[in-house]
Amino acid sequence: MSREESVKFPVSEAFSFSLESIKRRFGRALVTMASIILGISFLSFLLTTGRIMAVMRQQSGTAVQAYQIWMAIIAILICAVGIVNSMLMSVTERYKEIGTIKCLGARNRHVLEIFLIEAFFLGLIGGAIGAVSGWGIAALWQYLLPLMMQQGSAQTEALVIAARLWLEFNVNEPLIFLSNPLIGIALSVFIALISSIVPAYIAAKLSPTEALRYEA
Amino acid sequence: MVMRYEYAVETEDLAKYYIMGPVTVKALDGVSVKIRRSEYLSLMGPSGSGKTTFFNMVGGLDRPTRGKVFIDEVDIASLDAYELAWLRAKKIGYVFQTFNLIPVLTAMENVLLPMIFTGVERDERIRRAREMLTRVGLGERLDHKPGELSGGQQQRVAIARALVNDPVIVLADEPTGNLDLHTGLEIINLLKTLNTEKKVTIINATHDLKMIDVSDRIFWLRDGKIERIETRAEVAVREVE
Ligand SMILES: Nc1ncnc2c1ncn2[C@@H]1O[C@H](COP(=O)(O)OP(=O)(O)OP(=O)(O)O)[C@@H](O)[C@H]1O
Ligand SMILES: [Mg+2]
Repeated sequence: MSREESVKFPVSEAFSFSLESIKRRFGRALVTMASIILGISFLSFLLTTGRIMAVMRQQSGTAVQAYQIWMAIIAILICAVGIVNSMLMSVTERYKEIGTIKCLGARNRHVLEIFLIEAFFLGLIGGAIGAVSGWGIAALWQYLLPLMMQQGSAQTEALVIAARLWLEFNVNEPLIFLSNPLIGIALSVFIALISSIVPAYIAAKLSPTEALRYEA
Repeated sequence: MVMRYEYAVETEDLAKYYIMGPVTVKALDGVSVKIRRSEYLSLMGPSGSGKTTFFNMVGGLDRPTRGKVFIDEVDIASLDAYELAWLRAKKIGYVFQTFNLIPVLTAMENVLLPMIFTGVERDERIRRAREMLTRVGLGERLDHKPGELSGGQQQRVAIARALVNDPVIVLADEPTGNLDLHTGLEIINLLKTLNTEKKVTIINATHDLKMIDVSDRIFWLRDGKIERIETRAEVAVREVE
């Protein structure tokens, strides 16, 4: 058999197929992402708070406690379980679709690719939302809360300190400023991919007849 | 010049048994048939007689317990995973009772999909998808999603998708099963027209007796066995008697 006579599914096509799936089933994507957003947001909040506190005390490094990191890790493990669960649901909901694309020529590898690329995007989007919101909440918490608690000249003073901290934090250390959200996003993509391997594998191995017989 | 075999499909003692604990269900039990190129064939039989099982075996979707299927004189049991995927993508078009369009894709994108798998170049595949959808009467509905189309329209998209790669065979499993009488007739006539126009072999599992009028031959299936094979004329004669 010649090379011509072999099914193709370029990665670019797999990407656009996965993106369409996410876009047009955004509700389901949000459910899958909910746990990721919460977990990463919590982590990002802790890291940012730790960093701000360290800057305030003129220390380098971070003021996060070890137990807080452990809490974040546990939160993220729970979010991994959440992803496995909703990816399995999404595979089940799409049995017919999987059977159909197998009839149209998709090989197991192509189905695996579609689901893993979807997981990648869910991790990326969920991670970004989580990281930015956690960072934002931490910043508001650290800067605005003291402001609201103070009155009169004390408030002005707090405002000056906040502004100085903000400059120091964001301008003098842009890498550190960026690194926490980036760590959050990378971790999120990694977890989304790991948690989707088993569901994606199940989808890929489905026989077309089994998949088509399934009534949603 | 491409070689043309006389038979698009041949089966030899084809059987599929399902072992369910102590019971063995003989869904297909020794079916040997030859189906000619560009023939319109209906597979008739009561519920549970093995029509869908036959569809799955001939379509390379499931492995038989016993016997062989030849498509274009190639024993499909000898194909590896790559070749089997190619067979499904290029040589066979599938039409289902439940339409089975990809819900998140538009009519156009659904029809494009099989050509992505066979590697048709981008502009060409858009041209062919548009032409095929126009051919089935949906030229104005290219960007509609399945949920925005009626049952009959969805089945037209499915037929366009099944035919767009110029397959040797179109396998249809109760294509009118979810449609009302009138729409069902339209789909039957569309399949018949495409069969004549494109010389594509159509194998149609159905218990819709309207199908007899357009079929070249009818296989009557019962309990996994071929009960009899008749031409349309023979059915008509029998009906008069
Ligand atoms: N996966 C399976 N496991 C066990 N038994 C099966 C399976 N698939 C089909 N059967 C049995 O095989 C027989 C033939 O089924 P098949 O689906 O081929 O019938 P059919 O002619 O298509 O019926 P219908 O008109 O209702 O669609 C039936 O008795 C059915 O219960
Ligand atoms: Mg059936």
